[in-house]
Amino acid sequence: MKDAPIPTGLLAQFRRHAKSYLLGTALLAVYQTLTYAFDRGLWYGVDMAIGGHQKRALTVGILLAIVPVVAMGVRVLSRVLIFNGGRDIEYELRHALLDRLHLLGPAFYRKMPSGEIMSRATNDLTQVRLLLGFSVLNSVNTVFALASALTIALSISVKLTLASLATLPVLMLVTRRFSKSMFSLTRSNQAVLGQMSDRVQASLAGMRVVKSFALEDVEVASFQKVNEAYLDRSLALARLRGSMMPVTQSLSAVGLVIVFWYGGHLVLVDEITPGGFVAMFWAMQRLAWPLMALGFVVGMIARGRAAYTRLEEIFQAQPDVVDGSRRPEAPVRGELEVRNLCFSYRDDAPLVLDGVSFRIPARGSLALVGRTGSGKSTLASLLPRLLPAPRGTIFLDGIDVCDLPLEVVRQAIGYAQQDSFLFSTTVARNIGFSLDDTDTPEAQQRIRSRAKDAQVLEETLRLPDGFHTVVGERGVQLSGGQKQRIALARALMWQPKVLVLDDPISAVDARTEAAILDTIQREAERRTILLITHRVAAAQRCDQIVVLDGGHVVAHGTHNELLRQGGLYARFAEEQRLEGEIVTLGEREAAAASAGAA
Amino acid sequence: MSQAKIAPRPAIEEVLADLSETTPTRRTEEVLREFHEEADIVKAYDARLVARLWPFVRPHARGLYLALGLLFLTAAASLVRPLIMRSIIDAGSIARNPQAMVKGAWLLLAVVVVEQSLSFVQIYSMQMAGARAMADLRAHVFRFLHGLRLGFFDRQPIGRLVTRVTNDVDAVNELFASGALNAVGDLVRLFGIVAMMLLLDWRLSLIAFAALPPVALFVNAIRHGSRKAYRDIRTKTARLNAFLNEQVSGMAIVQAFGREQAASQEFDETNRAYRDANFRSIKFEATLDAAIDMVSSMCVALILVAAGMRASSIGTVVAFIAYIRQFFEPISNLSQRYTLMQSAMSGAERVFQLLDHTETDAPANLRMPGIEVVPVEERELAFQLDHVDFEYKPGVPVLHQITLSAKRGEKIAIVGATGSGKTTIASLLLRLYEPTAGMVRVLGRDVQSYERVQLRRQFAVVPQDVYLFPGTIVTNVAVGDVVPDRAKVEEALACVSGLDLFARREGGLDAKVDERGANFSAGERQLIAFARALYKNPPILILDEATASVDSDTESRLQRALSVLMEGRTALIIAHRLSTIRAVDRIVVLSNGHVVEQGSHDELLAKNGLYAKLYRLKSTQDAERSSVA
Repeated sequence: MKDAPIPTGLLAQFRRHAKSYLLGTALLAVYQTLTYAFDRGLWYGVDMAIGGHQKRALTVGILLAIVPVVAMGVRVLSRVLIFNGGRDIEYELRHALLDRLHLLGPAFYRKMPSGEIMSRATNDLTQVRLLLGFSVLNSVNTVFALASALTIALSISVKLTLASLATLPVLMLVTRRFSKSMFSLTRSNQAVLGQMSDRVQASLAGMRVVKSFALEDVEVASFQKVNEAYLDRSLALARLRGSMMPVTQSLSAVGLVIVFWYGGHLVLVDEITPGGFVAMFWAMQRLAWPLMALGFVVGMIARGRAAYTRLEEIFQAQPDVVDGSRRPEAPVRGELEVRNLCFSYRDDAPLVLDGVSFRIPARGSLALVGRTGSGKSTLASLLPRLLPAPRGTIFLDGIDVCDLPLEVVRQAIGYAQQDSFLFSTTVARNIGFSLDDTDTPEAQQRIRSRAKDAQVLEETLRLPDGFHTVVGERGVQLSGGQKQRIALARALMWQPKVLVLDDPISAVDARTEAAILDTIQREAERRTILLITHRVAAAQRCDQIVVLDGGHVVAHGTHNELLRQGGLYARFAEEQRLEGEIVTLGEREAAAASAGAA
Repeated sequence: MSQAKIAPRPAIEEVLADLSETTPTRRTEEVLREFHEEADIVKAYDARLVARLWPFVRPHARGLYLALGLLFLTAAASLVRPLIMRSIIDAGSIARNPQAMVKGAWLLLAVVVVEQSLSFVQIYSMQMAGARAMADLRAHVFRFLHGLRLGFFDRQPIGRLVTRVTNDVDAVNELFASGALNAVGDLVRLFGIVAMMLLLDWRLSLIAFAALPPVALFVNAIRHGSRKAYRDIRTKTARLNAFLNEQVSGMAIVQAFGREQAASQEFDETNRAYRDANFRSIKFEATLDAAIDMVSSMCVALILVAAGMRASSIGTVVAFIAYIRQFFEPISNLSQRYTLMQSAMSGAERVFQLLDHTETDAPANLRMPGIEVVPVEERELAFQLDHVDFEYKPGVPVLHQITLSAKRGEKIAIVGATGSGKTTIASLLLRLYEPTAGMVRVLGRDVQSYERVQLRRQFAVVPQDVYLFPGTIVTNVAVGDVVPDRAKVEEALACVSGLDLFARREGGLDAKVDERGANFSAGERQLIAFARALYKNPPILILDEATASVDSDTESRLQRALSVLMEGRTALIIAHRLSTIRAVDRIVVLSNGHVVEQGSHDELLAKNGLYAKLYRLKSTQDAERSSVA
């Protein structure tokens, strides 16, 4: 798994793929030499045919018919080599991109929003690939083609060469313009499409408001505006695309007329032979595409370089959490200590945590209680170094986590986030996220039993495809509680030495809560548990409780000690006792009302 | 997808037994493929779908007819070109007549220019017709979605619906951009070429035709391969992007679980498959290009052979060869169009599947007994729920036999725990959902007898989580007006004492509102929603108070705004704040979907029941909130 990292520099990548590029270039040279030979033969053959040497013309013709077959093989190979080189570099860069993204932390993701990252990973990478494939091949090819075609043309007639070249620069300029406008039009077309999907998205996401305020007509009208803008752009693009062929074809036809007119004249005055005329015609014809391609290439190179600079920003972003080098001698036991931990997100921002200390022995349990915004989740993220933890503050089995390899820390300290983000894959694969293979019968069995522990088994089985139902962003929509419990099952599957659970039961009813707490208590026999919660019912099952307020530890002790102290924890307890009473009373009265109605 | 129709629940053991029958890997792959909408190959032409598309195309069909007519003209022009070349070459090589050559060259130029211009008009008129038809279809789908019941959106992932309106309709557009009609053109060309070749020289034709089938087969085989590669590329692109996007949004989880390596490996699988599909595609495309190139070069060489054998005139041979070269184009095109037609058809299929939904939102039942039947005393009621039952999912009742009414001008608060059904009552008044039993009346009339817009015009709703539309503060207050009345917006904001607050912002009232109003605090969003309600100025106000704590300045603004807002209106308030609860005329206590207590604040406190307990809880919470501040 410790492969040498993929180089991300363009030059380094070129060197890595030097073999295919060089071989491809050599083949392009061979190809253009072959076409040169073909033109020569054509010149000679036609002169023979017209000069009455039928036999010789026939021989030349048959020989010439073989050349294109060889040329075709060479041509295909050259393209495959160079284009594949471009695709392979694209593949490697994309791979390196994800690897880099995996190293980067929240500081980076705050600066670069995910839309921006995606745009670089798609649009910019495409531009770089075009630079490395299409542009390389066509620049090289155009040089060789010019050399090959001009050598033959000039040896036929300098004057006719100049005359027939007249339209080619124009052709190149025209394609250059086309390529430019095409690029900007395509981009703006995509932008409008993006606006349109944002518009639809906003309208559908706000459907409740739309309906409550009877805004349907207004929404349709405002959609219609974007719809028409998109229509306009699409038609402008269609016009541009459609006019490309007529313009270039007409230009080529003008060139043809010149060759016929002037060349015919030169043939009649015997300045060139008919064979020379045909060969010239043929040579000029095959110059058209390389020059048009050059028109495309000029813009592509500029765009490709700009795109690469944007990708480089990601490749060279520095992770704010780096590996420590000290490998622990013994297996991790799971003793966790936090010593005078202070933390703020930015240097100029106020402290989120201020002098937090506590210690959990291996297989002990601790509850972290506090209001929203008291710093609980920040503390939890610091433990496995998902945020840059200051040196000398967090210790695993007495070793500073900053000294340990990240892999060891994160394997030992499992933090199950409050935000129950699920991936767009099946329930089974979400629960088995920490497994390497979720498809073995044994894994399936474990997934099922974890789902049961997290009290989500029955609901999962009732989903359209059971454990194979796709959930997440665009899959079946689950309730907040279901998502939370699937995320909990995922965390339970993980089995780290220290399990940090961030508010795993905020969205469940009392009965489910009790069952889940039983599960967590069972877990606590096998591993160290840090439970973040605002529920007193959960906290009181832990060995010790830390109450956090405004980043400070305001109380620390057992459930009974804290109740006796009064303060925030006692208020929480009172509040939740009342809430419990209200729920029971409410249920009783509802049942009574129901009985009364019946 | 419909979750509404859940089959009777099988015993868990049964399901487990069933699950173990199929191997999980295959099952998962199947489900994921379906999820990513990587449908298997569909038909390239489906008359039923085309018939459903026709109504959208018909208004713009003139462009299509024009394009069809021009197809024949351009095909004819391209068939004439080789003939002109023949006359030029024969003029040069046989008659040695330079004037005729130049004249021929000019003629050729003219034909090319005319052909290309006509083909521009042809392509453009077809694309215009198509793009316009698709814009209409898009608008239709959008309008259709807005006519669906709210319940529909509870079950549908929004991203997918957005795709229907955007990408899927774009796919259908391929039918016009490069599709069906041009295929007709290709066929016309093919027949024309064959006919011209026979006319020119039937003996050469027979030789050529003997060689053409293998060529056609070759092209077709290449196209077939490249079509498969192309399809792979498309599905892999979508998966690559989806995967990467999800890695970025779920990065914290990937890192916490230490799954970077595993994710990287999974990504590599798709990334590699994508690259390899591209390799295949490169191979096919390069071969096809080179083959066309090769054949034209060989044809030129064959001219020499023909000249050597003294067959027809060189001109004829050149023209003949030109036809052979032309022959390639339609064959290669036809094959490519096939792919695009397939994706157009699957796009159309998905769009029309969406349009097949029939859950119309609140259709007015005009045969309902109208106002006349309502007893006089009930006309004094602003709204009334009469023994209403309701459930979102069959078998999971949310409201039981709710009977509740408000006189005009009365202010009512609903209190109760989360999930007791408070918000649902508001939704039923607006007829966002239909009760399963009982009747809902607004201003004395059954809600079912109203036109949808007419009913909802009676209400202003301030939801708990205020939704702001992308736009500006002004457009968000004046939501519902295409052209906002600025003076009225300012007045509304001033009334809810928010004008100074927002005017202070950069950009003032024209400050941009980000997606979902992310750049506004909860309190600010609430104020905007208040102004929105005031701007609309309806007789009934429904307010779902926000639970999120706001700073004390905003809190006092909100309280002032609330009293302005309630003035002269009937109000139904789902209340979370003590100050609000005390300010109303009557309090309804809801528990598990039942009304368990009802009365004024003092009456209910005296009763010392559920409300009294709730009130005590709120007091401790409020005390705590102020101790924080």
